[in-house]
Amino acid sequence: MIWTIARKEIASNLLSYKFFIVILLTTLLLFTSFFVLYKDYKGRQADYELVRAKPGEPIAVVPPNPLSIFAKGLDEAMTRSFEISPIGIDVRTGQKSGNAVFAFFPAPDFVYVVKIVLSLVALLFGFDQVSRERENGVLRLMLSNAVSRATVLAGKWLGNFLSLAVPFVLVTLIGFALMNLDPGISFGPSGTGRFLLLIAIALVYIGLFLSLGILVSALTRRSASTLVILLLVWSLLVFVLPNLGTLVARQIIDVPSVKALSEKRTQIWTREILLQIVEQRAVNFRGDGAIRKRHLDAINTELNALEADYRTKFDRLVRLSKTINRLSPAAGFVYAATELAGTGIGEESRLKSEVIRHKDAVLLEMDRGVKEHPAFVYRYRTVGRVLAEGGLFDLAWLTIALILFFALGFVAFVRYDVR
Amino acid sequence: MSKQNLILKADDLSKRYEDGVLALDHLNLDVRAGEVYCLLGANGAGKTTTINLFLNFIPPTTGTCYINGVDVTKDPLEAKKYVAFVSENVMLYGNFTARQNLDFFAKLGGKTALTKDAYYQVMRRVSLQEKAFEQRVKTFSKGMRQKLGISIAIIKDAPAILLDEPTSGLDPKAAEEFLEILQELKSEGKAIFMSTHDIFRAKEIGDRIGIMKEGRLVLERTREELQFEDLVKIYIDYMKSEPHMA
Repeated sequence: MIWTIARKEIASNLLSYKFFIVILLTTLLLFTSFFVLYKDYKGRQADYELVRAKPGEPIAVVPPNPLSIFAKGLDEAMTRSFEISPIGIDVRTGQKSGNAVFAFFPAPDFVYVVKIVLSLVALLFGFDQVSRERENGVLRLMLSNAVSRATVLAGKWLGNFLSLAVPFVLVTLIGFALMNLDPGISFGPSGTGRFLLLIAIALVYIGLFLSLGILVSALTRRSASTLVILLLVWSLLVFVLPNLGTLVARQIIDVPSVKALSEKRTQIWTREILLQIVEQRAVNFRGDGAIRKRHLDAINTELNALEADYRTKFDRLVRLSKTINRLSPAAGFVYAATELAGTGIGEESRLKSEVIRHKDAVLLEMDRGVKEHPAFVYRYRTVGRVLAEGGLFDLAWLTIALILFFALGFVAFVRYDVR
Repeated sequence: MSKQNLILKADDLSKRYEDGVLALDHLNLDVRAGEVYCLLGANGAGKTTTINLFLNFIPPTTGTCYINGVDVTKDPLEAKKYVAFVSENVMLYGNFTARQNLDFFAKLGGKTALTKDAYYQVMRRVSLQEKAFEQRVKTFSKGMRQKLGISIAIIKDAPAILLDEPTSGLDPKAAEEFLEILQELKSEGKAIFMSTHDIFRAKEIGDRIGIMKEGRLVLERTREELQFEDLVKIYIDYMKSEPHMA
């Protein structure tokens, strides 16, 4: 019986203008996103070829991640080149060949389209399932038969989910297949697996919003009220909560600004250079090299401590922001998707740690007089590790929210007055 | 009539809503196989509440409804196997054709192996125009939708049919056609329970007629009894009377 109702929902959607327009728009958006992000990736790939380290050069730079076409995340920040010198790490800023428009508007990648557009579409599919059918009397006719409300709800959910999921998965897979036609892009088995997992997470996220739509529909008497409430809830979950978390965390944890950090660095430098000059004058510039080295070491030690302190505070800020933001399923989805794609906060943090480790190794070699340095190699975390380090939590949270909304929708529907 | 023929039964049925309104007050009635029971009453008299209780859309405050001997509150899904329902304004799925609607509701009613011809046959039986069979229901007039509604009830082939003011808003010809279909169903042995405002049609088709006022069944007459009484006068008198007199 569930399948009978699901088939009816699918057929009903296929015959409606709403479905046609929504699917057309979503398809256009997804393909536009793939095209724009593909071009962006190719541009950044060309940049990488220009700035990549020559053999022996103390430069740490990683190529752009092909999965950033779908989940751009922090890939642009991660693919900057880090030049290592005795005075520390210099991040090249002139290497920004990505789409400048993204500085003003978020990259309309797959994750963005799912987070904003498909969540809204899922709500639009769910909002009229109970309240509108009550208004037009079909619900009474349906429930006058020997069919349980659980069956009706499950059939409605399944039918609408499939109506959304099948075209979405098809369009996404076609986009992925088209990317694979470019010999310059290689996802490999790991990338393909990650991409499929990305789709699975997106489906959980879409299912969650569909359940939310049905839940609110089963809590309201009029479909117009359902729609207004859902739009408010959607704005809250997708826009307000993820930003609120970051703002609240900033009030709790005080992290110095990048400008303040930079000024502090300059102060350390100036102080040590002046001390060095004073010392060198005192000994008539004898033993010049030893004095210079001592002060450079002092600078390095102090800058490292400064950097470590900043990173500790920053990591706490990020952790707290993430925790608060996770109240919103949209944030949970973005975290899970970007970490899985290798463009998330965790991956970026790990890359920075690896760069610092590489810098220390290079500086040690410089001290020993070695001129040629090993190339910087960064290996992305495995899927298992990504899942273990928070990905599984986000996925579980999305799944629990989906089940919770569906269960609450069921309770509301069982108690729903169909008159 | 024997007890075995009893298809619908309301036993001391009462319903008090959460706002305190007593919509139904100790109602006792039954409908037998091959009988048409018409329930008359003003708006708010409790006619639709009675139907809602039979369909388990709302729980009774006291009393029990039985459909084909099954307690509706205790086993609603089993009870609903034996009842079909036609509402005042059959809406259905506008994007579906008449046949697709019929197919869906037939399947919900447990008829899973019906052919297109079977659907066409039922729609012909209710005099739905042939060209409308594969037309989208959103283009249908109210009369056509009511015919499709009764087709759904026919195809379910349940022993009881509940109708909530089914002829309300229909033109006289459509209403007459509708009653003819009900007559046929009655002759097939269906127990038909119809709430209506239409005294004349109730008298025309009803084997028994009940008048409800403020949740109470204030009068019940058989067709035979009404041969010697003026139903219109009785009805108007009851509507005018004070509650305690009723």
